[in-house]
Amino acid sequence: MTKVTNITIGRLRFSKRALVSTLSVSIFLLVWEAAPRLHLVDPFYTSQPSRIAAASVEIIRSAVFLRDVSVSLLEFASGFSLALVAGVPIGLLLGAFPMLRYLLDPPVMAIYATPELALLPIIVVWLGIGMESKIAVVFVAAVIPILVNSIAGVREVDRSLVLAARSFCARRRDIFAKVILPSSLPAVMIGIRLGLSRAVLGVVVAEMYVSQAGVGNEIMRYGSAFRIDYLLFYVLLVSAFGFAGTTVMRKLEERLGW
Amino acid sequence: MNPTALHDVVPHIRLDGLTVVYEKPRDGGSFVAVANACLDVERGTFVTIVGPSGCGKSSLLLAIAGLIRPAKGRVLVNGRPVSGPGRDRAMVFQDFALLPWRTVLENVRFGLELQSGWKLAYPMDASTGAVAGNSGARGWKSRNREDLNERALRYVRLVGLNGFEHYHPQQLSGGMKQKAGIARALAVDPEILLMDEPFGSLDAQAREAMGNELLAIWEQDKKTALFVTHSIDEAIFLGDRVVVMEKDPGHITETISIHLPRPRTVEMLDSEAYIEHRRRIRAHLMGELQHQRALALPHD
Repeated sequence: MTKVTNITIGRLRFSKRALVSTLSVSIFLLVWEAAPRLHLVDPFYTSQPSRIAAASVEIIRSAVFLRDVSVSLLEFASGFSLALVAGVPIGLLLGAFPMLRYLLDPPVMAIYATPELALLPIIVVWLGIGMESKIAVVFVAAVIPILVNSIAGVREVDRSLVLAARSFCARRRDIFAKVILPSSLPAVMIGIRLGLSRAVLGVVVAEMYVSQAGVGNEIMRYGSAFRIDYLLFYVLLVSAFGFAGTTVMRKLEERLGW
Repeated sequence: MNPTALHDVVPHIRLDGLTVVYEKPRDGGSFVAVANACLDVERGTFVTIVGPSGCGKSSLLLAIAGLIRPAKGRVLVNGRPVSGPGRDRAMVFQDFALLPWRTVLENVRFGLELQSGWKLAYPMDASTGAVAGNSGARGWKSRNREDLNERALRYVRLVGLNGFEHYHPQQLSGGMKQKAGIARALAVDPEILLMDEPFGSLDAQAREAMGNELLAIWEQDKKTALFVTHSIDEAIFLGDRVVVMEKDPGHITETISIHLPRPRTVEMLDSEAYIEHRRRIRAHLMGELQHQRALALPHD
């Protein structure tokens, strides 16, 4: 455990951690802004916070922005929800029934070991360059950590809790609902959080590979046009989205965890 | 048959040549945990089982609980063979086995919840002996839940955990955790209380205090109790009878009746009778040990 101390400035109290982190980010932004102005680096390569801010205003005002974001979000949401709906129940089942696990372990482990982006060309051949192929990539990327962690969650259930339930004449479904399910919840939540960040990655990279619209498509387009400021706006957008999603998941884990 | 008449002639628990064997998955061999154990436990007695680790005392208890199937022999409860867990028996575990995501109250309610589905003449009001009716189908479930909470709360109070109902197990000391474990077992109102080294993970002071409290609770309605321990003192202090077990393979070597009046007090620990019991049990355990050493010597 880290000891968090507080620093008092006038009437305001800050935690040391928040203060130092804010300071480091501010210094970074300051150096980034100042370096090109002092002719230390070429802004053509590094861009600048002020240029990115200007680019962001321009992009947000444009008509394509809303279309790109909604395409990417829809791909993300569809693929990720499919991964949730399939991954959690199948993972719990595989954890509970060894025979099923033995049956499905080899293919799951094979996909787990394969970077799903290497499968991208095949997926595009099968599903085309539209949204379907992106949804498939997101699904494959997200479902694996969800599946693996759900399986582990069930398998790591404390045997003595199951024994205690049995000693009170618990039926199988009661053991599942009252012991196995709540006990594996933290592991399932971790799987969902890991799946979420892999899903975000999946959307962007799949769109960068081949697509007609979306945030990844814009990143690729501005990259080939050497528009670093426009490109970085989209990159920051993705980071912010991933960070927000992960933070929400962490808060959920704290709320639901025991 | 008249149940009281049955109780007079049949021991509450009878072990009839009980043999427990564990298969070793590694080499396909097997391990005899309990060999041919025979024991009669009379209704309302407190029987303690003492012996070194690996003597099969826990396996014996698990077999009575119906949680493991004997390889040979039978466990009879009220003269009927045990084929699985039953509402007439409840168990207390060494590692407490409390659900960490549930509060004390919810943990005590756990056994009640699991059994409420088929416990129809329920709940019995202890003070009046009347069965509280669940009037009408509407709201039955919430009504039932409320009854379970009330009942769980009564047992939380019985073990002295009032004020801690809404704490989670990880916020409690070992002794308090086991109080919750005992309350959970008592809440389903079993005929037989099975305790598997319940104070095994507590420190010496907590152990002594818990022993006293357990006896105070037990004196109230004198359920048949089986208590596994590796402490000779605990076995004598708590028990009406002490069953001594030895290992390789696990078997019962002797049962000793404890002639100390109840309620038991700490002063009795210095009495002649107590010291004599202790000497005898220790001699048994040591004797077995020396016997084993003698057997083992030629192989060294």
